[in-house]
Amino acid sequence: MRKSHPIRRAVLAGAATVSGIVLLLSLKPSSGPAAASAAGAAAQQTAAGQESPQGGAQAAGGGTVTGTVAETQYGPVQVRLTVKDGKVVKADAVQAPKGGLSDQKTATAVPKLDQEAVAAQSARIDAVSGATYTSTGYKQSLQSALDRMKAGAAGSSGSASSGAKGTAGSGGSAGSRGSAGGKGSGVSSGSSAGSSSSGSASGAATARTVTGRTVQTQYGPVQVRITVKGGKIVEADAVQAPKGGLSSQKTAMAVPRLNKEAVAAGSAHIDAVSGATYTSGGYRQSLQSALDQAGG
Amino acid sequence: MTTTLAGGRAARRQTMRRIRPRRSPAVPLLLAVWAGAAGVLWLWWMNTPSVAGTGGRILNAGRITGLLAGYLIALVVLQMARVPALERRVGSDRVARWHAMSGRYTICLVLAHVFLTMWGYALQAGKSLGDVVQQTVDSVEQLPDMGKAAVGTGLLVVIGLVSIGPVRRRMPYDTWYHVHLFTYAAVFLTFWHQISTGNDFAVEPAARTFWYGLYGAVTALVLWYRVITPIRLNLRHRMRVEAVIEETPGIVSVLIGGRRLHRMGAEAGQFFRWRFLAPGMRFSSHPYSLSAAPRPDLLRITVKAIGDHSAGLRELTPGTRVWAEGPYGALTASRRSRGKVLLVAGGVGITPMRALFETLPGAAGDITLLYRANSTQDLALWDELARIADERGARLMYAVNSPDGERPDISAESLQRKIPDIDHHDVFMCGPAGFAQSVYDALRGAGVPARRIHHESFEM
Repeated sequence: MRKSHPIRRAVLAGAATVSGIVLLLSLKPSSGPAAASAAGAAAQQTAAGQESPQGGAQAAGGGTVTGTVAETQYGPVQVRLTVKDGKVVKADAVQAPKGGLSDQKTATAVPKLDQEAVAAQSARIDAVSGATYTSTGYKQSLQSALDRMKAGAAGSSGSASSGAKGTAGSGGSAGSRGSAGGKGSGVSSGSSAGSSSSGSASGAATARTVTGRTVQTQYGPVQVRITVKGGKIVEADAVQAPKGGLSSQKTAMAVPRLNKEAVAAGSAHIDAVSGATYTSGGYRQSLQSALDQAGG
Repeated sequence: MTTTLAGGRAARRQTMRRIRPRRSPAVPLLLAVWAGAAGVLWLWWMNTPSVAGTGGRILNAGRITGLLAGYLIALVVLQMARVPALERRVGSDRVARWHAMSGRYTICLVLAHVFLTMWGYALQAGKSLGDVVQQTVDSVEQLPDMGKAAVGTGLLVVIGLVSIGPVRRRMPYDTWYHVHLFTYAAVFLTFWHQISTGNDFAVEPAARTFWYGLYGAVTALVLWYRVITPIRLNLRHRMRVEAVIEETPGIVSVLIGGRRLHRMGAEAGQFFRWRFLAPGMRFSSHPYSLSAAPRPDLLRITVKAIGDHSAGLRELTPGTRVWAEGPYGALTASRRSRGKVLLVAGGVGITPMRALFETLPGAAGDITLLYRANSTQDLALWDELARIADERGARLMYAVNSPDGERPDISAESLQRKIPDIDHHDVFMCGPAGFAQSVYDALRGAGVPARRIHHESFEM
């Protein structure tokens, strides 16, 4: 039997907790790669090396465009569009929720969504009832694929490289989480027109893809992936961004702009997109961590 | 109908048992709890490459407190799951104190988590501390499962408030108890936002599996030991009130009959939580110790009429159905080491001591009972005790106030005078908190090591 001192015990417990948390936080680097994150970056690089660039620059005339991966509660959704003469002629999901009931829902919902996407030529399609999460993810990935298709049309502007990229892009899209390629390569080809075709062709060999950490924002996780070549960001993209309802719209509006800003600035000192401050904040943090990893 | 239960065969058999001291599993359990907390922090560490800026630091402090709170709240519920290893080996009293302590701590962590996370989000959005309230409202409206989490947190706060000492003392026990049951709802409601918005669980499937495992295991244990086990126990033994006997003014014994009661595994020194299915008593259950070794057909509790519930026991009619949960409590023969035993009882604290006095293994002269009461009239069960002392060759002493109200002298010196080899005894104690404290001090003064003083206290 011990005499208890409730106040002393409470003070001790509080002090121990606070100092423990402060210690943990101060041990974490505020920037610069930690051993763990460097190892993580290396793993991501090897994974990225195996991915062939896929995406939208070739979409000016025809080819396939793959959207970003949309994480849903039941699994990732990723949409691939086949484009001809600037029009979507075919849509299919390269990734969709699997396992158990999800298999059935995917089997019924995805063909409907594919048809709707082709009919609407936009991401404003109806959700399939009973598969709302999959539908929402599908719409997000579809939107990003459409964005890429348009960005590709603007960026490549009839350059000779579009055919070559088209063949590379249509190859390795199945199953990979990749959102490399896309708008980023469009921007890079714009910035140095002479090297654009060689850059894109050898990009998979020399460029490093680094994924930043996931930053939780109020509206959902944001995670940025950048491709770095010759010490410069040649491409930035959000692997994860807030989704659902209003967030999807904001993401569709903000993320492409943030991607461009990141490439232009070459750092995380980029302006927030107004109306999407949370996403912008999360984007900057994830971008900074990706830059930290790429630098180390 | 016999009025005393002394001299049963079952009790005699127990006195012949070998003394087998058992170590309390408290230390390994506490180590496991700390290891789990370290694992939770490690999870955060692995999923956080860097912490940038004030906003990042505050948000991450929110994440750490959230992870710890999510881990601890599962253990807080587990502590009240009436798991036999905790109730009978560690001791119901100690587990209840752990529960109160960790419960308070967890609520503080939850509040810190809410505040820090919302503050961190506000800073990340370029807002200041003043926008925390608006930020909280926005988050609850917009993030998945946060509405549920907000309701759950509100419940936790209410439960925490009614458990603060002064509030609780002013509240009827039953009201307090039923408010406390909302903890299950609160834990259920707050669980989902951990999975759907928790960074570590979104990124790490193994962490998610572990979390589901932890909460699933706790749910299973609660269902098994708080619901299914009592139902099975009561269906099997079908207990009813046999008789109510007034032992002394204000102290009554209730005899409870049933089927094969010796198969319940109750030991002397343990208690059950009793619910008497009589008007006005149906909705409350109270812990009372067995005041005799269980017999195959009969259990006995002895209760001092202090509260509404215990006073109502006097009015019980034979045949009233009884719902019992137990046995619980670790103040049993397995606590003692080899050697002599001193039992100290204060007032109605005689009940578990009476059962132990009859059943503790020991030769003549090994067992001593010291019984403290206000007057000789208040020495409940005295005749029985005297008979057991005769049969076993045990020593029986009492200490009462002198006729002019002066308290008897229970000090290190007086104890040493009465029991010269007191430092070679294990001591079992039961009585009011003040009495127990003064006896404890006297015993320590007389050279009894702390680890050999066994005491159950339900003071928080």
